[in-house]
Amino acid sequence: MSASEVVEVEGHIIDSLILAKVLDVIVDAGAEYRMFDVSIGRTNVDPSRARIEITAPDDDALAALVAQLQIHGANRVAQVDAVTEAAEVDGVLPEGFYATTNLPTQVRMGGHWVDVDNPEMDCALVVGPDGRVLTVPMHRVHAGDPVVVGRDGVRVQPLDRPRGANPFEFMSSEVSSEKPKEQLVARVAERIRAAKAGGGKVLAVCGPAVIHTGAGPDVADLVRAGVIDVLFAGNGFATHDIESNVLGTSLGVPLGDGLPPEGAHSNHLRVINEIRRRGSIAGAVADGYLTGGVMFECVQHGVPFVLGGSVRDDGPLPDVLTDVVEAADAMRAQLPGVTIALMLASTLHAIATGNVLPAGVETYCVDINQAVVTKLADRGSHQALGIVTDVGLFLSTLARHLVP
Amino acid sequence: MCPPEHFGVLYEINPWMHREVAVDLDRARDQWGELVATLVEAGAEVELLEPQPGLPDLVFTANAGTVNNGRYVASRFRHPHRQPEVDHDVAWFEAHGFEVVALPEGIGHEGAGDALPFRGVFLSGYRSRSDAGAHGPLSALLGAPVRPIELVDERLYHLDLTFCPLDDRRALVAPHAWDSYGRKVVEALVPEPFVLTDDEMLAFCANSVVVGRTAVMPACPPRIGRQLESWGFDVVVVAVDEFLKAGGGCRCLTLALDVAVPAAAPTRGARPPSSETGAAR
Repeated sequence: MSASEVVEVEGHIIDSLILAKVLDVIVDAGAEYRMFDVSIGRTNVDPSRARIEITAPDDDALAALVAQLQIHGANRVAQVDAVTEAAEVDGVLPEGFYATTNLPTQVRMGGHWVDVDNPEMDCALVVGPDGRVLTVPMHRVHAGDPVVVGRDGVRVQPLDRPRGANPFEFMSSEVSSEKPKEQLVARVAERIRAAKAGGGKVLAVCGPAVIHTGAGPDVADLVRAGVIDVLFAGNGFATHDIESNVLGTSLGVPLGDGLPPEGAHSNHLRVINEIRRRGSIAGAVADGYLTGGVMFECVQHGVPFVLGGSVRDDGPLPDVLTDVVEAADAMRAQLPGVTIALMLASTLHAIATGNVLPAGVETYCVDINQAVVTKLADRGSHQALGIVTDVGLFLSTLARHLVP
Repeated sequence: MCPPEHFGVLYEINPWMHREVAVDLDRARDQWGELVATLVEAGAEVELLEPQPGLPDLVFTANAGTVNNGRYVASRFRHPHRQPEVDHDVAWFEAHGFEVVALPEGIGHEGAGDALPFRGVFLSGYRSRSDAGAHGPLSALLGAPVRPIELVDERLYHLDLTFCPLDDRRALVAPHAWDSYGRKVVEALVPEPFVLTDDEMLAFCANSVVVGRTAVMPACPPRIGRQLESWGFDVVVVAVDEFLKAGGGCRCLTLALDVAVPAAAPTRGARPPSSETGAAR
């Protein structure tokens, strides 16, 4: 288990080559260093100062190295373990709880830095009985859980922003409607292929516009081809997907000629009613009522989906989780292994997803509305690319790249 | 300087000290007297510190502390044997109008023996006796840059056994006693170094006192003498072998009180006062 410590050197450390020596000593010992909090004197009379975090392969190597560095005037900066306080009541955090970010986080316990299992923003850190540290949303804290309080012994590692001419080059949080879409989509496809080759999962978060714009069959193809591993959506997306496959309309509008026949405005209600009669979407697939579409492919290929409910939902479909807390927990349960998230013409579900994603997940936000894309890209995701375009065009191009 | 009334080798805290080697106190008194006379003849004024029974090394006043511009930074000795010296040193400096300051607790530094001014900078030896961590606080207290140099030869446990400023461009240097970083630092600082051989450095040639253009040395092989004379120095050799038994030479027996490294001295180009390298006033 690697061990780390922070040391500080101060004085005329540049002119005297002390800093260079200290860094050389660290590297020669097979350890790694990270310098932070460096201030260089303005003139040769002003002292300079540097704090250096050292990571050695194990405790013994670290202790030997720290002792060696002390000879050269680099002294340990006192580091303390994180402080925990037991939650008094279920669902209530101790006052002064540490509020998380979605960045990779470590907690110092017993002199060791322990990685937090599942970075998520706006949660608390709870130390498990096995010594693991978990991010836990407020409502899931139980009385007696040791919750990290204060900032001592907690550190957050900023993600390295990808630089230079590499596959990430095109990634940035910038959103522009004035970028060549065909190229962008091709690169997203490349990133998805690379993620899958590395064993990563792809999450798709879909809004109803995916179906309205006629991209349902493309998403179904992506599910069938094994490109999409997890689906998050709401009652609307699932309903219109089923409606379009059973009755050929989306919210009453025929996807063929686009002219609404009389009475078609109630099509989605009739479809919801029939699914409710069969108990679940899987039930409707089993008895042959539903024979195609995104939800059908998910059921057929065992792709997990989470349908989160909202106040204005019709029905809703029996699969919709109407308890939002339960829905968020169900989404969290599907996140391990996800390395790419596609936010497809969805505002509310995409924001909900952004809230539970670790910062390191590559996120692509596709929407026709620049404001939505900007909002999503700005919500703390560090590797997000906004693509302002029609989601139907985006998905048909993506499917062309990824579906054999 | 401190008369050697109570000098002797009563303990062993460096490789030169052996308690079985007796000091000839009469001879030590004579050698010390000869050193004082030589320094005075070269133009120095000598102030005296009263010797104390039980403190044989008080005679090595170079380790009493570090002086700059009328301010005195008291030493903090590594070995308990020498720690009681500090009270006597501090009392002297207080009585003589110096501003007396101290390093933070827990940081050791053995004074001018490990801190030599050159071209607006103090070079400070560390590892054997002084702590590397002292250089930051020492710099703040002295009001001048301090560059630590690691001493890697236990026989040369203080910087003043390895480095001797001669004037504002020249110095006797013993790079073998420093680590590679220290060598680079000195190389960058000293325009005209004279590199001592191992034998010369172990003969304490660097432990010399320069007053004006007179170099008072414990030993001076012809090779060094010729070079110093060509640079315009008069060389006077004073036998101090009784003191070498305790690991100290001419320089160790003196402490310069007139050091004046300016507060914001540029590192290069400026000419520091020539008295900076003087032994005493």
